[in-house]
Amino acid sequence: MKSKRFEALAARPVNQDGFVKEWPEVGLIAMNSPGDPVPSLVIKDGIVVELDGKARKDFDMLDLFIANYAIRLEKAEQYMKMDSLEIARMLCDINVGRAEVVDVTTSITPAKITEVLGKMTVLEMMMSMTKMRAREIPSNQCHVTNVKDNMVQIAADAAEAALRGFDEQETTVGIVRYAPFNALAIMVGSNSARPGVLTQCAVEEATELNLGMRGYTAYAETISVYGTEQVFMDGDDTPWSKAFLASCYASRGLKMRFTSGTGSEVQMGYSEGKSMLYLESRCLYVTKGAGVQGTQNGSVSCIGVPAGVPGGIRAVLAENLIGACLDLEVASSNDQTFTHSDLRRVARSLMQMVPGTDFICSGYGAVPNYDNMFAGSNWDAEDFDDWNVIQRDLKIDGGLNPITEEAGVAARAKGARAIQAIFKELGLPEITDKEVEAATYAHGSKDMPDRDVVADLKAAEDMVARGVTGVDFVKALDRAGFSDVAASIFGLLKQRVSGDYLHTSAILTADFKVISAVNYKNRYTGPQTGYVISDERWEQIKNIPAEIDPANY
Amino acid sequence: MTQEQMLEQIVKQVMSSMGTVAASAPSGSKLTDADYPIGEKRPELLKTPTGIPFSELTVEKMIAGELGTDDMRITPETLELQAQVAESVKRDAFARNLRRAAELIAVPDARLLEIYNLLRPYRCTKAELYAIADELENKYGAKVNAAFVKEAADVYEVRKRLKGNN
Repeated sequence: MKSKRFEALAARPVNQDGFVKEWPEVGLIAMNSPGDPVPSLVIKDGIVVELDGKARKDFDMLDLFIANYAIRLEKAEQYMKMDSLEIARMLCDINVGRAEVVDVTTSITPAKITEVLGKMTVLEMMMSMTKMRAREIPSNQCHVTNVKDNMVQIAADAAEAALRGFDEQETTVGIVRYAPFNALAIMVGSNSARPGVLTQCAVEEATELNLGMRGYTAYAETISVYGTEQVFMDGDDTPWSKAFLASCYASRGLKMRFTSGTGSEVQMGYSEGKSMLYLESRCLYVTKGAGVQGTQNGSVSCIGVPAGVPGGIRAVLAENLIGACLDLEVASSNDQTFTHSDLRRVARSLMQMVPGTDFICSGYGAVPNYDNMFAGSNWDAEDFDDWNVIQRDLKIDGGLNPITEEAGVAARAKGARAIQAIFKELGLPEITDKEVEAATYAHGSKDMPDRDVVADLKAAEDMVARGVTGVDFVKALDRAGFSDVAASIFGLLKQRVSGDYLHTSAILTADFKVISAVNYKNRYTGPQTGYVISDERWEQIKNIPAEIDPANY
Repeated sequence: MTQEQMLEQIVKQVMSSMGTVAASAPSGSKLTDADYPIGEKRPELLKTPTGIPFSELTVEKMIAGELGTDDMRITPETLELQAQVAESVKRDAFARNLRRAAELIAVPDARLLEIYNLLRPYRCTKAELYAIADELENKYGAKVNAAFVKEAADVYEVRKRLKGNN
């Protein structure tokens, strides 16, 4: 006979997820693999001659780059002698400040930091993340995309997302040639609702830089690095090419971060029998060595791999924490869909949401799941109210705030009208009033009329060929009567002259003040220190539209 | 107080009564996190590559056509100041990146994108990479980047990542 209980359990969403036993030889192990190297560091005449059990003559490309650039050597030998358990205790001890811990954790090797994290529970890691996050104030980032690459919808969704509190927004494309329009739409839309929102468009590396140079984006993030040399090659880059690319961005005054995550090496078939966390640790050291201010990590698009093995979600938190330990900005994933279970997706996100990271999601899907061109997100537009209620339940700051339908619709309408106007001014294919109205009230691209894709693509290409830049956007918006949006886009362009927002964990306020890990350092040392939710912010978080006011009952 | 110290103090006083000048860092002293954000706390130190003071950058001027794309760019001097701020908060690797970047400002957009693509694996022979290094050093004065590209060439040779190795 079949058990009715087990039949009911088998039907649960969690049992549609894939799980796999550990298999260390191929790297299917989250942390603490028997194949992980034993930490070691030998320095001779200022040169690293041994790193994690390997002599310099045996270094692969990543070892060499890490040895040359990623470790602060002054006190490295002293800190390498510390017991890993002692460092783990420092990490979650409220009496040891962040600066003191960073001095240690930026002076040890990839295998050492992996060993340290291997001694911590998720609770201890969360305590540690609260302290180790570089910027005092946590924040959040979202995805704004749709399957039709409809720029009117992107502008409207970006405007609503800005109102909801996202400080950074990311788009990408279905059809690559749409990139200039999508980049323009997310920038204009978001900044029409909240000046100072930073926007990016994830495309191939050189194209992405080109968009940035022209003023279509304010930062970049899709600069992938990998934990083994072979996978790095398959990604068509080297630590040197990626470090050069990082300098290219800074030379144009553009903020950027690298991307990496556990599971990518297993997925691409070259893990060298190492744990996912150790390989991710190497990615983060490459990031550090390249002199990049931050990372997007937390498995990201490979989340299915760590999520399938025991302790995988613990490893994802651990990799975020290594990023923070290396004094990097951490945009902590919580993006790609990885489970059918609503319970699992919340449990996975609480690891970052409760302690707060520089960007808790990277990003939150501010569109319906079907419109998310980054293969869906762990959090979608349908979950906005759930996120807000969880913030309210736990009194935590997840970076978002509730909005009224009226305000949301008004923001969407303005974003859509702004992109309509700039298209008209720049001589691009018409955006009709009907499309503006559809975008204003839409939930997703199913609610949007189709556009003439061929004409759009030709115009997008032509706009770039004509040499249209951010300066033209400012002028066009002003001519069209959107002088406030023009001023916002100008404010973004002005940032690339001062370079203040190049620094670790930088975001901009609505009046273009820079908030980063330089002027807002995380000084957490226990209860009522570090970031404390202000009364004003708590009012914003707790007043959800659905609550009943006893005074009016 | 020595005569020199007294003189320095008097000069400082005179300068401060004149306004902005006193705010600028005495030569030789480096900026720190106390000077950050530079655009807010020390705007007098910032200029566009075209010589326009940072504080004179306004949206009105852009709309009037007085500011163009070439004005809205960072300078090597500004990146050096930001590198100093980074060093004051112990972000040495980040500061090095900013200094490499300062050298690359002179390289035109199109060439910069080309060089990045040529640094990818299997694109160049060692001699071709060395030629790029020479170009960076001799044409653009990018010494640190030139050494960096040469280092890459040497590593690619050992690891068999040069043109023809794939």
